[in-house]
This record gives sequence, C-alpha cells and structure tokens, in this order.
Amino acid sequence: MSDEKIIQIRNLTKIYENGVEIRAIDNVDMDIETGEFLAIVGPSGSGKSTLLHQIALLDTPTSGTILLKGEDTTKMSDKQRSRMRNEELGFIFQYHHLLPDFNALENVMIPLLIKGIRRSEAKKVALQLLEEVGLIDRADHRTNQLSGGQNQRVAIARALVNRPSIVIGDEPTGNLDTKNSDSIYELLRHLNREHKQTFILVTHDLSMAAKTDRIITLVDGKIAEDSRNVSPT
Amino acid sequence: MIAGVFAMFEVDIAFRHIRSRRRQTMFSVMAVALAVAIIIISMSMMSGFMKTIIDVTVENQPHITVSPKEGEDYIYLYHGFEDYVLGQEGVVAVSSYYEGEAALQYRHNVEGAMLLGVNPEDEDRLMNVTGDMVAGDFNSLTGSGSRIILGSKLARNLDVDIGDTVTAKFPGSDPTDFKITGIFQTGTPVDETLAYANLRRVQDFYGQSDIITGMDIRLSDIYEAENHAEVIDRETGYDATSWMELNSEILNLIATQEQFVYIFYVMIFAISGFGIANTLIMIVMEKVAEIGILLAMGTSRRSILFIFLLEAGILGLAGVIIGSVLGYISDIVLLSYSIPVPPDIYFGMDHLPLLIVPKNFIIAGLFAMAINMIAGLFPARRASKMDPVEAIHSV
Repeated sequence: MSDEKIIQIRNLTKIYENGVEIRAIDNVDMDIETGEFLAIVGPSGSGKSTLLHQIALLDTPTSGTILLKGEDTTKMSDKQRSRMRNEELGFIFQYHHLLPDFNALENVMIPLLIKGIRRSEAKKVALQLLEEVGLIDRADHRTNQLSGGQNQRVAIARALVNRPSIVIGDEPTGNLDTKNSDSIYELLRHLNREHKQTFILVTHDLSMAAKTDRIITLVDGKIAEDSRNVSPT
Repeated sequence: MIAGVFAMFEVDIAFRHIRSRRRQTMFSVMAVALAVAIIIISMSMMSGFMKTIIDVTVENQPHITVSPKEGEDYIYLYHGFEDYVLGQEGVVAVSSYYEGEAALQYRHNVEGAMLLGVNPEDEDRLMNVTGDMVAGDFNSLTGSGSRIILGSKLARNLDVDIGDTVTAKFPGSDPTDFKITGIFQTGTPVDETLAYANLRRVQDFYGQSDIITGMDIRLSDIYEAENHAEVIDRETGYDATSWMELNSEILNLIATQEQFVYIFYVMIFAISGFGIANTLIMIVMEKVAEIGILLAMGTSRRSILFIFLLEAGILGLAGVIIGSVLGYISDIVLLSYSIPVPPDIYFGMDHLPLLIVPKNFIIAGLFAMAINMIAGLFPARRASKMDPVEAIHSV
C-alpha cells in the first residue's frame, strides 16, 4: 500500500438549514490513502451518507476543503466537478440505478461515452468489465431480465469502467440477501486488490465492515472512532 | 466526435426516452401534426384567397395608370411618351385613352356612361377585352363610322342589342350616333358604366385635337408596378399610379386580416406546445433517479439540458413532418372537391380558393418548431437543475 494520500479532508462542515440548523458533518478531518478499502459506519443520521456525498462531489460543503489527488474540489467549477466525477470517481448505490431503456452492456458503456470515447472502443472496454464481474453472457439483457445481484454487478462494472481512482459505495449490498452480499463484497475486494483502487463504503452491515482495512465510525457528524483492522480478509 | 452527432450518448438517451413512452409521445406528436396541418390548410386558403383577389384586380385593371401632370387636364404629345414607356424593361403593353362622361340615349332610355376612347389593338393587348366579349368583336371599333361597345349591364339598362344605334350627348358637343358592334362582360361594376369607342371618334366628339386624358400600362411582373410607377413619376413628371396604390384599401384589409389569423395560429400552436411540454414533464418526472445517476456519472448539466431539448426537438420535428404531409394531402383533397362559396361575399369567387405554396409549409414548420422548443425549455431546465443526491434517492 502506498502512503500517498488520495483524499485529504480538512475542517469539513455541512449545515442544513431547514427551519432548524442541522450540523450533518461537524468539522471533520480525515486522510485516506491510495488503495485503502475503508468502511464508514454509524447510526442513522450520523452524517455518513452526507460525508460520502461530499467526497463524491455530489454536494458542496458549507465550509472546509476536500482535496482529491491534491486538487481542491471546493474551488472547482461545475464542469470540472463533472469531469472529476466521470474520470476519477465511481459510484455504487443501494439500488443499482441502471437505465431501464438500455441493456447491461450499454449501461456499462455510458460513463465512457460521457467521457467522449468512441463507441467501438467503449464497447470493447465495457465487455471486458462485464467479464470481470462475471456477466459477459448477460450483456444484452435489460435490468428487468436480471436478478438483483446481477443488476448490482452490472452497476459495479459501470462504476469501474473508467478505471476511477476512487470507488464509492453507498450501502452497495443493502438491498441484497446475505449470499449475494458476500459475493458482491468478494468482487469489490478482488477488484481493489487487482487494480489498486481506493474503495470507500458506507454500510450498516457490521460483519462486512469488519472485513475492511479501516473502519471510521461517525456519530452526530463527528468521527467517534477510526480503527485499522489488523487482519482484514 | 468522428462518428458525428448521432454517436453522442445524449442523442441515444433522448431516443430511448421517447421510445419508452411510445403511446404518450405518439399523442403529443399527433397534436403537433394536427396543428401544423390545420395551419397549412388555413394558410393555403389565405394564399388562394389573396391570389384570387389579386388576379381579379389585376385582370380588370391596368398595372399602372398614368394621369396628366399636376394642374393639367390632358397629356399632350403623347406619342413620344408612349414610345418612352414602351421602351422600359418589363412593359408588355401601353394603351392611351381619352375618357369622358356622356349620356347615352336609346329611344326613351337614357343612361350615364363613361365613354372611353381607345386604340382597340392597344387596349385589347392591355386588358384582353376580347376575352370578355359576350357578343360582337372588340376590333370592330377600328371599322369606319362611329361604333361603340357597351358593358353588358349598360346594354341591358338601355334595352339595346348589337346593331342598334345609341345617341351620345354631352353639353357643348354635338349629339352623335354610335352603332353598337359589341357587348362585353367583366363581372365587375364597370359593366354598368363603361362604353368603348375609337380614340379618334371620342376626341372628335369632345371637340379635342389628338390629346389624351391618360395612359394605362401592363407589366410582365405585377409586383414591379410600384417601382415602374415611381420611375415614370420621377423622369416625366406625369402622375403614375400602381395597382397596389389604387387598391391599397383592400390590400391593407387583407394584411390586417392576416395579422388576426396569425394570432390564432399562435394559439393553436400553443395548445400543441402544451402537449409536448406535458410529455416531457412526464418523462422528466419518471426519470428523476436516472438524471441523478447521469449527473453522478459525470454528465454535465448542459448535457442534461441538451437531452431534453433534443427530445422536444425530435417530437416537434416528427409532428411537423407528419403535419406537413397531412396538410398537403388535405389541400389536394379540398382542391379536388371545389367547395362552393357565395360569390357576392367572396369577391365574385364561386368556390373556395386554395393555393399550395412551399413558403407556407416552411413558415408553419419553423413556427411549430420554435414553439415546441420553448415548450421543452421548462422541463429541460428543471431536469438540468436537479440536485443529484435528492434525485438519486427519490426512488
């Protein structure tokens, strides 16, 4: 594992003002190293999803800075943030959120097409990713022809197709049974080792969190505990 | 972007969205198509109406009328002026005339008439009077003796026919007998007042030498009349008036009516525009999570805007194409049926005039597209302004 810090969070605060002031994230400092496989846990409303959305550049903080690969994302334009999301970040959500009008292969191709890559090239790369998640034979199936676990694998392929340096999962197995959950975890772990990508997962599943390199526990928008797992699987 | 615009993923997504709501998009396309078709038919009627009015007007009127200089009653030495006008490019025919009032008497019947002395050949070339003749021959005016050709209503009012002789009277002139050698009918009010005679005879009747009271001009392009009139005005000092100027009232009336009709067009298009907007709002609402995901995957807000504007454009274009075909077919069907209308209301037209003009299709199409894009703007902007976090978790 390299010691290079891919994510540096300083004094990050996010306040929602909706009649009453809610400090969803309260002055958080955090460094994440390249290739880490990390879980963010905590009770509902602890701010773990909010923190994830900040790292994912889907939302802007009230104050503080987030440096991705040394670049201050809070100073970026919408266009720059869009490009960063496309090229450096991959998302896996609780629901697969695949586009229902496209088949599995086309869904995996979309991030490449957004980047401006030629269709023929995009297809080649997307097929390779479907191969990696073990769904090459389902390439022309649509979401309604695939099981929950299969759809989530397609979504993972889509998240990874641009070879992002950071992969973000918001309850990636929250909607799956234990068996599927385990196999998705194995897949993510495998990809992490294979490609040295940084994985940040928000999860309720403590048994899954226990298998990661590092567990950050959030309570009331603050880091309550930051523990390194000495024997991750 | 080597593969061109169709390789863009925005185009792909727009088409998939439309296909995913096939029934609803079909209805909104049909709404646009119907609006376009109705407006094309309406515009064809307007064009036909306009053309018929202009045809009738121009057919029965010279394109330019030249009157004497200001403060004078006659055009003297008109032969040289005639040559000058004939020498102008685009001038097809020139006819000099002496116009005067006279009372025509046959037995106990007396009618006031406009006695027009002309050179029959010139006048025929100008107004195609031969085509209006219902009895006799217009060129018979060239024959010896005093001959006259009457409008059909004038002849009926005097109770005369070909071969009869009428007496023309005018204070200060000797009463002169004219033999009727023809009767014409134009379908316009001149049938009741106009009488043609030979120019030389009419000048004699009024005791004048070889002078005229005016000159009429026919052009190859009627829309050049104003320019020609202006040139003649400026170069000769005679008072030249184009048919547009003479008929400015009716032409203004038509133009005003057209403006009102355009207000209705806008309203019809607005209704079809609401259909497009409605469909797009439905698509945007259904695809909220998808928009969120597209944003998360790095699609720019501009691309999201483009996707939904594209959808409005695709729906609109389909509507315009179908509507144009529909409008064209309806025009042809309506033309083949020749729908009757009351002539006294419609300027002597006995059937609904229709004219298929490509310009109308272009105007209706562009008009529809513009309104559809405006209709698409609201839902497209809404989609592009979504908060990705809220959008993704909306499911």
